[in-house]
Amino acid sequence: MQTIGILLARSTYYQTIGFDLYEGLRSGLKHLGRSDIRIVTENIGFGADKQQCYRSAEKLILEENVSVVIAYIGHRMAQLLRPLFLAANKILIVLDAGANLPNEWPSCPNIFYHSLHNSLGASLAAKKATDDGYTSAGMVTGYYDGGYLHTYSISKGFEEAGGTISFNHATGYKTEDFTIVPLVDHLEKFPNSALLSLFSGDFVQWYFEGIKNSFKGQNLPIYLPPFGFEEMMLSDAEYPGDNIKGIAAWSKKLESEENKIFIETMKAAGRIANLFSLLSWESASIVLKVIELIDEHKNSIPQIASDLQSFSFESPRGMIYFDSKTNTSISPLYNATIIATNEGKCEIQIESMANDVFEHFKKLSTQELNNSTSAWHNSYTCI
Amino acid sequence: MYLMGTQKKIMVLCGGKFAFPALQLLAYEKFICAIGIGKGNDTITDALERESEDSNIGFKSFPNKKSISEMRSWIDIVQPDYVFCISFPFLLPEAVLSYGQDKFINFHPGPLPQYRGSMPIFEVLKNQETETAICAHFMNSKFDEGNIIFNDPVTIEKGDTYGKLTVKLSERMAQVTLNMANMLQFASQIPSQPQEESLSCYYEKPELSDTYINWKRMTASEIISLINACNPWNNGADTTLQGEQVKIIVASLLEESHNNQSGTIVSFTDTVNIACVDSKQIAVEILSTDIGILTAKQFAELKSILAN
Repeated sequence: MQTIGILLARSTYYQTIGFDLYEGLRSGLKHLGRSDIRIVTENIGFGADKQQCYRSAEKLILEENVSVVIAYIGHRMAQLLRPLFLAANKILIVLDAGANLPNEWPSCPNIFYHSLHNSLGASLAAKKATDDGYTSAGMVTGYYDGGYLHTYSISKGFEEAGGTISFNHATGYKTEDFTIVPLVDHLEKFPNSALLSLFSGDFVQWYFEGIKNSFKGQNLPIYLPPFGFEEMMLSDAEYPGDNIKGIAAWSKKLESEENKIFIETMKAAGRIANLFSLLSWESASIVLKVIELIDEHKNSIPQIASDLQSFSFESPRGMIYFDSKTNTSISPLYNATIIATNEGKCEIQIESMANDVFEHFKKLSTQELNNSTSAWHNSYTCI
Repeated sequence: MYLMGTQKKIMVLCGGKFAFPALQLLAYEKFICAIGIGKGNDTITDALERESEDSNIGFKSFPNKKSISEMRSWIDIVQPDYVFCISFPFLLPEAVLSYGQDKFINFHPGPLPQYRGSMPIFEVLKNQETETAICAHFMNSKFDEGNIIFNDPVTIEKGDTYGKLTVKLSERMAQVTLNMANMLQFASQIPSQPQEESLSCYYEKPELSDTYINWKRMTASEIISLINACNPWNNGADTTLQGEQVKIIVASLLEESHNNQSGTIVSFTDTVNIACVDSKQIAVEILSTDIGILTAKQFAELKSILAN
């Protein structure tokens, strides 16, 4: 019997993340007719403890003898695991939020990144702001989200499209420290500025509430990356105004047979489909391809990697394929806006598919980081 | 969480500046307890000794083979958990290796077991590989023969010279050695495999016959690869041009057919264009002659003066 392993993270504001990741994978495999595959899980906490991550991966490989390991971790933790997977001749599939930009884009045949592309979406959202005529913007983020290099991609994206970042506001981490009041001053000094906003989870809700309270009726132009459009959290967020848009990675509103099946399957399993279950649901297709290739190429990793690079599949968010230079999956991204529900909460409206995603990714992955580094090791949203 | 007090202590034996990025990163991550340098030139040895003193890291120079006899007692004093070798020029004798089983790890700048020997960077370029590797392996008393922990692949870009690839590998070496250090820190066991002897190849240090362009047998693209593989360490690939011993430093492929005998000059343009056996040409841009390093244009002028 085939066994695969998954490293599961936990999060205080996405409390179901571990269940979502597991169920997405399990249901994805079942949907593809492979319920026979055994899934072994290991807990890696917030994905920041090197010892815990390494030992968990080691256990899956050396004790459970899994064929493939899947892990919701960042690039830095993947780098830590790289020698283990090279030494053990195994493939690691990283489920990547895409919130960070790696200082060195990976080129290891043993590691493939399946991404939600938050940084790429952030950069495209910034570009959208310039397309809408904004030449000035402020970057608004929090202590936590500000630690990831999507901050770099959103600012750089805006500047490269001809805009100027006029101000930055990074607010606190705890409820009592969270404030957007400084934006009042900033916007007085720099009126007509777009707010390039990077928040996730509860912080989106706090941010929207703050905007609603401090800027009532002003319909400030707010631009969001994919995690700003996470629907579970949006459904509980106060609707703050009519001018909120950006780039979404996925929505339950996307109309396709694949998306319908995914959402219904997750519902039948007692879960609400979200970005995390989506990522692991999709990873089932990648895992099955890897298992097939392991057999076909008698475990020769260079050959498996080469074939996987040209693998593509239809997913709930559209066609997914790999960039062979970075072993990173490329998926469609969507132009989206936030609209109000009858209860005054938020929901996504998908406008159209974003253009030239791969070209933008290539640009992003060859972009100099100018010595910007992130100190966050943990898996994104896992605090 | 691990405690800093339990951080593994690593001694690094190196051969010079190729190891510097790795030394810096390992020191930054507080893994290094001592540095040994073999056959280092005075400037580099002095610089390293000063840096080591400033960072409170042990230091010892091994200027020649004889000095290796002092290594074991030094290791016994320093008591490292592991010893990393990055292009250390001397073979470690059994007396040193007996300090501990699986405690010595070499980082070979080429894939093993395919590219054993002291200059794999030259060999992979000459052989027109598209990928090389940094191989981490446990050491035994033979060069490059211990159990392999991993080969970490590195892409060779078209046009990479020995110098370019060396710099790339030196930078990559930093991350690979840090990865290895982390592995030693966190792993309960280090997976390793004996080298597959049937795939092994040992390359002696290149001699004139290895750096010499064989116009009768080598295709234009093979010649370009050899030229790149010789730049800069050999000041170019050796050849005889119009009866003169020269070294070609920079050249590119010219997809133009010719009726000349291979190894003879077809034309002088901005480059010196030489006929190759596969009816293509190589366009030489820079070459080294007895009178100095010349551009193709300078060389052409010199030859026309001589011809007049």
